[in-house]
Amino acid sequence: MISIESSIILLKDVSKKYSTDNVVFSGIDLEIEKGEFVFLTGPSGAGKSTMLRILFCAERPTSGEVWVDGVTLSSLSNAQVPYLRRKIGVIFQDFKLLSNYTIFDNVALSLEVIGLGKKQAEQRVMQMLEGVGLAGKTSHYPLQLSGGEQQRVAIARAVVNRPSIILADEPTGNLDLQRTEEVIMLMEELNARGATIIFATHDDRLFENTHRRVIRLFNGRIRI
Amino acid sequence: MTLAILCRRAFSDLRQNFCAQLITTMVVSLSILIFAFFTLLYFNLQHFVDRFGAELGLVVFLSEDTPKDRIPSLYQKLTGLSEVEKVTYISSEEAFGRLEKFLKDEKEVLEGVDPRFLPPSFEIQVNRAMFQLKRIKQLAGEINKWPEVSKVQFGQEWIDRLYIFSGLVRTIVAITGLLLLFTAAFVVTNTIKLTVYARQEELKIIRLVGATNIFIQGPFLVEAFLQGLMGSSLALGVVFACFRFFQGIEAKSELLRGVNICFIPWQYTVAIIASSVLLCVLGTALAMRRSLRL
Repeated sequence: MISIESSIILLKDVSKKYSTDNVVFSGIDLEIEKGEFVFLTGPSGAGKSTMLRILFCAERPTSGEVWVDGVTLSSLSNAQVPYLRRKIGVIFQDFKLLSNYTIFDNVALSLEVIGLGKKQAEQRVMQMLEGVGLAGKTSHYPLQLSGGEQQRVAIARAVVNRPSIILADEPTGNLDLQRTEEVIMLMEELNARGATIIFATHDDRLFENTHRRVIRLFNGRIRI
Repeated sequence: MTLAILCRRAFSDLRQNFCAQLITTMVVSLSILIFAFFTLLYFNLQHFVDRFGAELGLVVFLSEDTPKDRIPSLYQKLTGLSEVEKVTYISSEEAFGRLEKFLKDEKEVLEGVDPRFLPPSFEIQVNRAMFQLKRIKQLAGEINKWPEVSKVQFGQEWIDRLYIFSGLVRTIVAITGLLLLFTAAFVVTNTIKLTVYARQEELKIIRLVGATNIFIQGPFLVEAFLQGLMGSSLALGVVFACFRFFQGIEAKSELLRGVNICFIPWQYTVAIIASSVLLCVLGTALAMRRSLRL
């Protein structure tokens, strides 16, 4: 029995199809509780990224209902979407950093959009960059950093405005083992501070020995 | 989202995309420059037609049998008309004297001619502020009906031609303005589309972190405002410099003295700047519609 009260993310009979013969998934029921850290896995093309895109409103489901932090996404107007996105931090495999912005400005962007004061924002960004071990590289540009460092900047940007939900779409896909472990540790830390995390990956090794819940997407259906 | 953040982002974008911004501003400036030159030409022509028309005035010829004691009352009647600024009575003898002066060395052709053969007349100078060709025609018609008046003459043909010409110039200015407006709108919209396209990825990321449409669109609109303002001001500045240059030539030239060229009235100058700003801002808003979709 799934309920809206206890869960921060709730999907009820959700389907996504681009055409009649291109069905990504259908009849998905899923509940994620506040503070949970779940792995979303499945082969390439299983719909992991599409599911995350639906959660941060980059796409709309074809049918079914989605609730995020108590908000029914189908009732959300386009103008309200940015306000929901501020509650969600998104991390991508390709980092999606602005190459013409410094590391500091990339992270500060999340605070600038919510209109935080300059001083307060500066303080928070510096704190965040210290937390991910990049305090000495604030004036660097993304392309001057290694892949692991870029991913840490992306994580810093995603969490600097303290979102309650973090969606990570293959965040370790471009990283070596050591950097992957660093990212996982950062995620564990964020989760320990109360953030709900959905970590999408096709790499089974990341959750082999974990006690975390693993949601498997296969052939357009969820297999627990 | 404060205005300060919006302006800061706009100025940062201006610095980063200086070339594209400069090209857009130059396109706006050139379009406004051509339009402003035509407008200047039109206003000077209109000014000339009005002045010329007012200076031509009316000549009211009286019948030869008009008793001399009727002249003062006719004078009073004419000066009482609201369109009339000044009335001068020219007797037959004065008219004859003028003719002699005009003929200079050939005045002997007038030998033996009765000095009163020319009819007495009133020369009327029209009130410039009230000058309107239609009204002058009406006035001439009214005066012509007076029993003492034999004929009312004014440079109707000249004024008619000048009015037709100035109407033609006005049409050309309007069509040119419209075409230039479309050209500028097209170029501005497409330059901005290209800028937006080049920064598509950046806008996507900004949207991802929760930016509202005003946060995304705002800096572009501020840039467009500045482009419109600077482009049109620059163009009008060039036109004004040219105007001062022509004024200098006019002051030095004997032939042109008294032409009294005028600049575009300030209301129109403000309207040109406002239209330019509006055009750029609307063009930007239109160009960005697609990129604001989720």
